[in-house]
Amino acid sequence: MTTYPEVVTKIIDDYMDRLKSQLQLVPVEDRNEFLREIQSHIYEAFQQQDAGNDEVTRILTVLRKVGEPAEVVADRLPEAIAGSASAWILPLRIVGALLIALFGIPLGLGGMAVLLGILAALAGVLISYYVLASVALLASVVLLTLGMSRLYQPELWDRLLAAGVIQMDVAVAQVVDRLSPYAQGNLLIFFAIVCAAAAVGMFWSGRYLVRGVSFVMVRVFGWIRQFGQHVWRRVQPYSAEFFAKLQRA
Amino acid sequence: MRYSEEDKDRRVTQLRKGILELAVMGVLYHKRHYGYSLIRVLTESGSISLKEGTIYPILARLHRDGLVQSEWVESDQGPPRKYYGLTLQGRHLFVELSQEFDSLISLVKHDWPAEEIQDRTKKLLVKRR
Repeated sequence: MTTYPEVVTKIIDDYMDRLKSQLQLVPVEDRNEFLREIQSHIYEAFQQQDAGNDEVTRILTVLRKVGEPAEVVADRLPEAIAGSASAWILPLRIVGALLIALFGIPLGLGGMAVLLGILAALAGVLISYYVLASVALLASVVLLTLGMSRLYQPELWDRLLAAGVIQMDVAVAQVVDRLSPYAQGNLLIFFAIVCAAAAVGMFWSGRYLVRGVSFVMVRVFGWIRQFGQHVWRRVQPYSAEFFAKLQRA
Repeated sequence: MRYSEEDKDRRVTQLRKGILELAVMGVLYHKRHYGYSLIRVLTESGSISLKEGTIYPILARLHRDGLVQSEWVESDQGPPRKYYGLTLQGRHLFVELSQEFDSLISLVKHDWPAEEIQDRTKKLLVKRR
């Protein structure tokens, strides 16, 4: 049996009461275990204190070293103890779950849909950009081919015109007809070079667009993954407990 | 701008708090202890100062996570003592955490060639993510 002088008992009781009031949310069993352990600690520490000092000084030193109740509890109170204390919060949790089901999930799904829509739009912009660059490159090849054929195979140009493969707006045709075949060929080659330059420029600067879009995507998917992990960490203990209970049943 | 003594103390406290759980596991790795004896071991070197009561929530958390097991043992010198020891899972985790801790210490102390530090930092950052 642990015995202290009366004054020391009073100081310890006062301390334990304050500690107990800090542990109100903790289940009785865990709370008693915790208090019992602290009492055991106080006893050990009190015995080790310098016997030369008076008892009040000894116990006050011990309690100062143990720490203020709020400090002891608040600093690192395990979530499990605090969490398992919340049986009385069950109705509140049910209401919370209903609210989440009614509003949170639709809003969450809506938000997710918007997010995925934005990502799809960004991907679309990227794809369109490269399609445009490819078209410019293809156009430059076609123009170059036509320009070269106009210079070195003029009859091929005429045959293509006659077959309807090459078609021009009337106004454009009138302007082109005023030029010599040589000038027409060079004009086509000039446009081919412009298209090729535009395509190369687009491909070169496209890497910045790729970086930007991939940065946004990596961030967004990172957030989604973190959110999923966070939810899983919260849900996993409950699901494990649920299945354990199910197995026991 | 110079930092204040208070600022330094706050950071030192944070640092010690950060490694307290590992230190607790380290002490329990070698021997079973009850709360008071565990605190004596932790504080006798003088490198860790703590409010003694804060060790019990840490032990409770380790217990909840299955890293320590506990047992009340009657004492002929007073009330029963609650002894703690690392579980097998706790021992494995401690070995891994202490290796991680060694890497961090080496990083802080600049014990490696520059390119190796870069590799290790990358690995640590990847693990943290």
